[in-house]
Amino acid sequence: MTATIPKPKSLPLKPSQLGKLVGTILPPLVALLVLLTLWQIVCPEGSIGLPGPIQVWKETFDPYIINPFFDKGLTNKGLGWQVLASLQRVMAGFSLAAVVGVSVGILVGSNKLIFKAIDPIFQVLRTVPPLAWLPLSQVIFRSNEPSAIFVIFITAVWPILINTIVGVQQIPQDYINVKRVLRLSKTTYVTKILLPAALPYIFTGLRIGIGLSWLAIVAAEMIIGGVGIGFFIFDSYTNSLMSQIIIGLVYVGLVGFALDRMVGFVASKVVAQEPK
Amino acid sequence: MFLEVDHVDKVFPLANGGRYIALENIDLQIKQGEFVSLIGHSGCGKSTLLNMIAGLDLPSKGGVVLEGRQIAAPGPDKMVVFQNYSLLPWLTVRENIALAVNEVYRDKPASERREIIEHHIDLVNLRPAAKKRPAQLSGGMKQRVAIARALSIRPKLLLLDEPFGALDALTRGGLQEQLMHICEESKVTAVMVTHDVDEALLLSDRVVMLTNGPASHIGQILTVDLPRPRQRMQVVKHPDYYPMRAEIIEFLNQQKRAKKRQAELQSSTSVMVSQLPKTTLNIGFMPLTDCAPLAIAQEKGFFAKHGLTVNLQKASSWDDIASGVADRRFDAAQMVAAMPLAMTIGMGGQPSVPTSTSLVLSRNGNAITLSKELYERGAQSLNELKSVIAMDKDRRYRIGIVHDCSMHNLMLRYWLASGNIDPDQEVDLVILPPQAMVDQLRKGQIDGFCVGEPWGSQAVVEGIGFVVATDLEIWAGNPEKVLGAREDWQQQNPEAMLALVKALLEACEFCDEPRHRVEVAEILSRPNYLGVPLAALTPSLTGPYIRSTNDPGQMLPRFHQFHLDNSNCPRRVEGLWILSQLARWNITPFPNNWIEVLDRVRRVDIFLEASRQLGQVGIEPDRDAFQLFDGLVFDPDRPLEYLRQQAISRDYPVQEIDLDRADRKLARTR
Repeated sequence: MTATIPKPKSLPLKPSQLGKLVGTILPPLVALLVLLTLWQIVCPEGSIGLPGPIQVWKETFDPYIINPFFDKGLTNKGLGWQVLASLQRVMAGFSLAAVVGVSVGILVGSNKLIFKAIDPIFQVLRTVPPLAWLPLSQVIFRSNEPSAIFVIFITAVWPILINTIVGVQQIPQDYINVKRVLRLSKTTYVTKILLPAALPYIFTGLRIGIGLSWLAIVAAEMIIGGVGIGFFIFDSYTNSLMSQIIIGLVYVGLVGFALDRMVGFVASKVVAQEPK
Repeated sequence: MFLEVDHVDKVFPLANGGRYIALENIDLQIKQGEFVSLIGHSGCGKSTLLNMIAGLDLPSKGGVVLEGRQIAAPGPDKMVVFQNYSLLPWLTVRENIALAVNEVYRDKPASERREIIEHHIDLVNLRPAAKKRPAQLSGGMKQRVAIARALSIRPKLLLLDEPFGALDALTRGGLQEQLMHICEESKVTAVMVTHDVDEALLLSDRVVMLTNGPASHIGQILTVDLPRPRQRMQVVKHPDYYPMRAEIIEFLNQQKRAKKRQAELQSSTSVMVSQLPKTTLNIGFMPLTDCAPLAIAQEKGFFAKHGLTVNLQKASSWDDIASGVADRRFDAAQMVAAMPLAMTIGMGGQPSVPTSTSLVLSRNGNAITLSKELYERGAQSLNELKSVIAMDKDRRYRIGIVHDCSMHNLMLRYWLASGNIDPDQEVDLVILPPQAMVDQLRKGQIDGFCVGEPWGSQAVVEGIGFVVATDLEIWAGNPEKVLGAREDWQQQNPEAMLALVKALLEACEFCDEPRHRVEVAEILSRPNYLGVPLAALTPSLTGPYIRSTNDPGQMLPRFHQFHLDNSNCPRRVEGLWILSQLARWNITPFPNNWIEVLDRVRRVDIFLEASRQLGQVGIEPDRDAFQLFDGLVFDPDRPLEYLRQQAISRDYPVQEIDLDRADRKLARTR
């Protein structure tokens, strides 16, 4: 015998969910507050050198905080524009890296001989710091914009490539046996087995790749100039505008965090649940 | 034959440069529509064997043939149901099945393919779960998907690798019945790996039992004659069910013990192996024509070639040989074929001395010789002998043999019994050393003997006896003399053992060469060996072989067989025949753990390793049924039935022989 229990009225947000939200958001907020307070105590108003948080807020509130999209010509633009310009470069370089990294990764990962031949080269190249590529790319492209994109590409491609290779190599023998017994065609194998099986690895690579490209672009822009968050920071430095530097850093951090979460979100939607 | 696993070996190279022999000489034929189970402990190579049938792995030697074509690669005609299901987690139940169907039936129209897919979803009752992914299914449901996927493409051969191993008992039972019905309906041929005895009995037509690795081989094949269609609850009530179940369990227990023993041995090997490799050996032999391999190995330098210094020591009787090996006077010895088995089991109430053999030194070479008196009374054949004995009610004829567990005894008894002469009731068999036979016959102390050459020919030469039958007429190619050594000696001196086997193998090859035979006869006639005139040796070695004074002689090139036709392999099947006869005359009890006993006593592995190192083609011949001259078939899977069919026999106990307890007992007395 089962009795039907009347369901409680559904709330827009159940108390339990609300509690959970508070539980995850509250601790970092408190931590942030403590940090800011400490900072303020160490750097009180009027002190020389590093400005305190309140000073930063005051000095950059207008126009950088309330109006991210002002445009006073040349490089004097709101932080929204600066970030967008940087993101554009990242997107171009990163997309290129994703396409090249995944496809070359599949090729190298599924062929032992090619892997043996190329892997050592990859291992050496991937340790070269992004900025070290910049002089070379400027010589090759003779223009700022493509060389910036190239630096993004060369930074992001290694983790994507290497993770894809590992992903392909790690495909469980069981799935390969299924392929062999059913004599699956190449295309069916790639679409039905190889890609789904390697997807978790590919996304790990993409996530690392997007983080690295964001790191690289800020550094690259400092050198090549033009509109972009990196140059904004560098420009503020040359003009000794400490508060602007700090607000620029905050923007860089927040955008980088958002990018990482975005790729993570896409991965959670695309990657199949591993059977346990 | 539908599927033939043809003498398959599987060897894996090891990281340290060695090789691991996983499977050795697997030979198995499977008929169309048959359901065969492979059973054995983990690590016995049963999954490796299944993978080779599937084509996922290739044999190192031999081949697997499906409908006349050798299997070289996997394919949908040999569909596998894997142990861990191997479903793709990102595809639904339907998509998983569709993947197989769409790929295999690429040429069929989409509607037809859809029909096949839906039919198989229904076949395993998964309609409500068709849209679910594997992660949402229970283990039993997943295995049903895997079975549906396998069946949907109508394979010629269905291969199942422990398909129900990971399931709970209730689910397993239901699925087994389902699988059985599907197999019966679609008449599919199936090979299943399992370690569940009841599962094997319920589903199979035959159960193939594999021994432990390394060098795992087929220990026994059980035919399951239960009527079909079978039902789980009915099957267990069948009178044959529990005996069959007991047989498999007994086998598995034997193998478990053997495995444990092997592990113990391995952990203590470093201590046991002598620090200095032994190179000086004392080897006992009996002065008979078929000690030729030992004499030749000594005289032609085969021992020396393999780094051994050998003192050949002439023994006075076979008992002297047995006690010499037991009390370590001899490191190894020429033995009569049944002696290592009988010593291991413990003959005539004596304590067991685990002894093993890794080489058959000679085959054939015996003759049954009767006195001139019997010849004149008309006993010129087995039947005539029977009537002479029947007429002479008052007289007990005496026939000489050399030892209870010599082939002479077993063959003579077999020969007499098949002529309806009870060897214990109607004649007296007396044990005498071989050298004394002719003398005793001359003096009329005995009326005949069964002994190795040259004594039969000697009696003929002297005109006091005639040869009524030779080995060739009773069981051509029977194992006669073997190389025997204590098991512990062999474990302590693995290098010396291997060197000894290699030296003797080369000597055996030398002896079988017709152009060497004159030299062999000359060496044997020397006083330190037989010390008899050349004329007594040549009839059996070079021919012509003369049976009686008036006989013009006959060429019998295989009267002694030292090497040809894989003579030197200590075949386990022959060992089993010997065990059956030792039990028949109650010389030793019949061990119901015969597979274990034979694996330990008849060291085919050492023989094969020695052959391999010499570059000789050494194989263990098939474990097929065979028959002696009377036509009674000996099936190595049913030795007890063979014993039951033999009209004249003693009462014999059938019991488990605990070889390790014997070991311990021995260790205490040491």
